[in-house]
Amino acid sequence: MIKVRIPTPLRPLTKGQGEVETKADSVVEMIEALNSTHPGIKDRLCDETGELRRFVNIYVNEEDIRFLKGKDTSLKDGDEVSIVPAIAGG
Amino acid sequence: MADLVISQIILDDIIAHAKELTPYECCGLLAGTDGIVSRLYRIKNIVAMEGAQNLSSFDSAKVAHLERLSPDERAEIAFVMDMQDFSTAKKDMRNNGLDLQVVYHSHPHDPARPSVTDIKIATDYEEIWPKINLPLPAYLLVSLMNTEPDIKTYWIKAGRVTPADVIIR
Repeated sequence: MIKVRIPTPLRPLTKGQGEVETKADSVVEMIEALNSTHPGIKDRLCDETGELRRFVNIYVNEEDIRFLKGKDTSLKDGDEVSIVPAIAGG
Repeated sequence: MADLVISQIILDDIIAHAKELTPYECCGLLAGTDGIVSRLYRIKNIVAMEGAQNLSSFDSAKVAHLERLSPDERAEIAFVMDMQDFSTAKKDMRNNGLDLQVVYHSHPHDPARPSVTDIKIATDYEEIWPKINLPLPAYLLVSLMNTEPDIKTYWIKAGRVTPADVIIR
């Protein structure tokens, strides 16, 4: 299983859970799997072409997927994924 | 010993960044070693980008407020960092043996102190920093509300704001 850390702004989609588990062999599969159990999550993370939105980062075991293989980054059992929203303020 | 040492050259660069973007908010990162800041990274403010307000830890009142404004107006009262720029800066820090020290942004119309939104998001982010292998940064604000720019730096921990001890040299 893959452990996925859900940031505060997405928790309304996961019934308040800060961490969910899913099965996936890549980040893109993980996003699809999350979207089937928590509909709407994909739209928050990816644009209409399926690319990661510029106001979100995904880290696999503390490594930024933008410097791995992006959404095609592979995942294996036991990996920890963090979805990180942009640093922001007012 | 001070929490941070920042050169006047870096502070001048932050002020220049804020003035270039005013009336919009600017944002960026300062990196260095052991509290001594040696590098500045300007990060694009993408608050005007479609959907940015929904994934940025803004509370529902702030989101509702932002959605009533035009994209340009949004950037006058908020910032959202471009995480592609952030990733590039983070990689450069790692390649140069630097740590994140400070997150900065400007308040074109308001004082140099964290807003309620700043405090809420910084508090949310406390649990994220270790997950992405970065230390908890200080928060620097530059205000342009008066003729003379005002810069102040704070720690935001568990929702509490305390001034950071900064030496300028």
